[in-house]
Amino acid sequence: MVHIERAPWREMVNHAQAVYPNECCGAMIGTIDGDKKVVTVAMMLDNVSQGSQAARYELRPEDLLKADREARTRGLDLIGIYHSHPDCGAYFSETDLKNSCPWYSFVVLSVQNGSFDHANSWLPNAEQTHAEKEELTWPES
Amino acid sequence: MARILIPTPLRQFAEKNDTVELPGATVGEVLGALTAKYPDLKKNLYNDEGKLRSFVNVYLNDEDIRYTGKDATAVVDSDVLSIVPSIAGGKNVR
Ligand SMILES: [Zn+2]
Repeated sequence: MVHIERAPWREMVNHAQAVYPNECCGAMIGTIDGDKKVVTVAMMLDNVSQGSQAARYELRPEDLLKADREARTRGLDLIGIYHSHPDCGAYFSETDLKNSCPWYSFVVLSVQNGSFDHANSWLPNAEQTHAEKEELTWPES
Repeated sequence: MARILIPTPLRQFAEKNDTVELPGATVGEVLGALTAKYPDLKKNLYNDEGKLRSFVNVYLNDEDIRYTGKDATAVVDSDVLSIVPSIAGGKNVR
């Protein structure tokens, strides 16, 4: 399961609302204890998709490398990636699946009419054919 | 010896190490030494055809090896290899 602490959760929600009606993306850093992952730091990253950012996001691998180094420097772990879905549900789409990586948790934030609505966390498989829903909690959840 | 930084989720396949030092004159040799030492890492990094999985990028220090000579890229002591996934996505468009 994934729990997101108050400060990173606020940043993620603010980020998702600020770039609405586009998709935002970023990295989640924190601690892992068995299957319990606690996000203590959110890192906003650029959406570098060349397509319509209202329906696409893409991370620069270099930014992810930086996030991983930042986590190591702080003695923390890179736990996952977050991104937003403007005006639709927090499902894991076909596009999300086809461009995913099975090593990380993927938190999707649904933003409806500019305001945060709900969120889910997903664990895609290595074949990029299926994503399992994972328990997700945050301070107001 | 080159240093290889192991991403958190893969450490379980590398005896919990976050960093591994291995010999090799090229990126291919170092990665070969890595998967020889930790066979369970192999299926996480490579597909059934023995190619790096589509979402796996390897960086030598700050450079993507795809642009520096791929597996043949020369490695010297003190070089750092990182394994970084490609990640993208997007909502369903109605
Ligand atoms: Zn998505």
